[in-house]
Amino acid sequence: MREKHLPVGKELLTPLVWQPVPGARGAECYPIIRKIDTVSSNSYLLRTPDALLLIDPGGLAEQADHLVSVIEECRKDRYLPLVIFLTHAHVDHFLSLCQSSALTDPTKSTIAIHEIGAIALEEGDRNVTQAAILGAEIGDIGIGLRLLSREGAATPGIPVTLTFPNGASITTIRDMISTASGAPTQRERITFGTGEGFEIYHTPGHSPDSICLRFGRMLFIGDMLFAANPGVAGLCGWSQESLVDSIDTLTPLITGNEIDLVCPGHGRVIPVETARTMINAIRRDAVALHGIEELNPERSQTTAVFAEECLSHVSELFTIMAGRLYYVSYVIEELGEADMAEQLGTLIKSDTVDAMLDEFTAFSEEFRSGKQQPIHLALKAAQVIAKIERSFDGAALGRIIDPSLISRASRLIADYTTTLRGFSPPTEYSEQNISSILESLVISHTVPACSDDDFLSSADDNDAFVQILLSRIGTPPLLKDVEVTFECPDPTLVAPIDHDRFCDLVTEMLEDLVGTGAGNIRITAQRSGSAVVVTLSGTGCIKSLDSHYSGFLRRACHAAGGSFTYDYAGTTSRFVITLDPV
Amino acid sequence: MEINITTHDGATVLALTGRVDTTTATELELAINQQIELGNRKILINFSGVTYISSGGLRVLLATAKKLRKEGDRYALCCLSAEVHKVLKLAGFTSIFTIYPDEGEALARW
Repeated sequence: MREKHLPVGKELLTPLVWQPVPGARGAECYPIIRKIDTVSSNSYLLRTPDALLLIDPGGLAEQADHLVSVIEECRKDRYLPLVIFLTHAHVDHFLSLCQSSALTDPTKSTIAIHEIGAIALEEGDRNVTQAAILGAEIGDIGIGLRLLSREGAATPGIPVTLTFPNGASITTIRDMISTASGAPTQRERITFGTGEGFEIYHTPGHSPDSICLRFGRMLFIGDMLFAANPGVAGLCGWSQESLVDSIDTLTPLITGNEIDLVCPGHGRVIPVETARTMINAIRRDAVALHGIEELNPERSQTTAVFAEECLSHVSELFTIMAGRLYYVSYVIEELGEADMAEQLGTLIKSDTVDAMLDEFTAFSEEFRSGKQQPIHLALKAAQVIAKIERSFDGAALGRIIDPSLISRASRLIADYTTTLRGFSPPTEYSEQNISSILESLVISHTVPACSDDDFLSSADDNDAFVQILLSRIGTPPLLKDVEVTFECPDPTLVAPIDHDRFCDLVTEMLEDLVGTGAGNIRITAQRSGSAVVVTLSGTGCIKSLDSHYSGFLRRACHAAGGSFTYDYAGTTSRFVITLDPV
Repeated sequence: MEINITTHDGATVLALTGRVDTTTATELELAINQQIELGNRKILINFSGVTYISSGGLRVLLATAKKLRKEGDRYALCCLSAEVHKVLKLAGFTSIFTIYPDEGEALARW
């Protein structure tokens, strides 16, 4: 649940304070608005003359304890029955019930949830409730009221009055409404005594039992605003088709003139005008999510492994990029251009990137010690990546330092986000001449990006001269100080590869050899049986390849169209890439 | 990160263990500056216990290079792990700093 979707600005509801509910005379709201996380939702406690109504008690025992103390305070003068509404049966919205007998005592409170969620809770379904993926233990929760039940659908328009052991008396009535797509859908209206009541809409998509509740001019929307986000879309019970339909169900309500405030399950309350824009964007995102993989514990685990590999390598690339910029700045300052040197420092917010990477490392250590679940690490990586992406000016940077560093970091980040969303990173395989690709790569890594002629001819144009000067300092050829031999006996050697990913892979391996001290590099390409084998070996190296880097290369090699091995003997590092046969 | 400071024939060796990240880069900068203020202008940084250096760490190394440029000053790094060597090399720093494979060789040359 990424915060980027939420607007910044003044709080529309003041947390932890009773305040009037717009459009509901005599009703007040006490909101608990939490920072967005996967542990616990917001809670909204409503007080009417006849009842206390709690929307989502959250996932934390201390949140439940706080709610219980506020409820007891409300009951000091006069007992009021409590009805707890769950917007859906995900642990972050209800787990505190399992830790608080005061909220689940049927003589004091009634729990209401959509009929599908009621079944999931009664059966202790660890998948639908997300207990499995979030590593939570759920206990028995008695459901007093099944919302939008099939049974009730049989008697539309007929009010039914129900009384509960806690003294709550409610009247419920079902009717049909039209959605934005024109399809009719059912609504349930529930009133408590003479005061304002709820209108309840079934809005599946994020989960099969998701509901939205309107009270006065407030709309409690559960997790719909996050339903198309990476790491949320694809959760067990998630449905793209239902999500789009549900957005259509809510659209008339949000675009009409009946709502002022939209209260999400996580993060700040937002004005309806903002919600209109957001809901359109979410629908667009949802439509694009056709065919994503389910985000189950297994995928969550593999995504977490990718998260660590990705951030480890992104960390290396950004440190090199920032270091390269420091280097250019240092040389420029030596040339007496202190102002220009200072300006260069603005192209990467390296302190921000370092802080983000440190934060991820600390989180990763918590994950390894069992304090965090794989899904938490995967989502943390996405959060860190989003902040890193905003911390550098890729276009300007690419005119000074090796643009391949930037494009590889961007591709890796995009691959991670794509994977987290439930898709496979895009690849484009075609038969390519391996010999000529390798030859071109060696040449491109041997000659300067800007030729001597370009440098000389720029002398009359100050801006062009400065740009070429910066580029020549910032982008020295990778193989400049290395003796390279290239052997490919068959110049027509062909293999099916993703061209760009293969070039990135070979560049990565060459960088590793050069970076760990290779003075000589030998590149060979030859057929071995039906496969094409490319070998890159460097002498004079320090042993490289930790587990994250090895995992990163394995994934990169697979995406390029092959597999790889690495060995180290004496001072020789050797990468062997085997490309699948034609 | 731990910083162990020793002296050898007028040279000061700062042996690092751990990660040179945002927080510890500042500690390293402080430790180096203290030595320079004490008049110790032959500084060798031993990276044998370091597998990670952040951009903040690189900035500290570069800032130190700018401070130790007087006649008679010495500044070098030694015992770099593959990870740290790779970052320094690809960032271009190996053309600014002298890098030795071990502490003994560095001190012998000073």
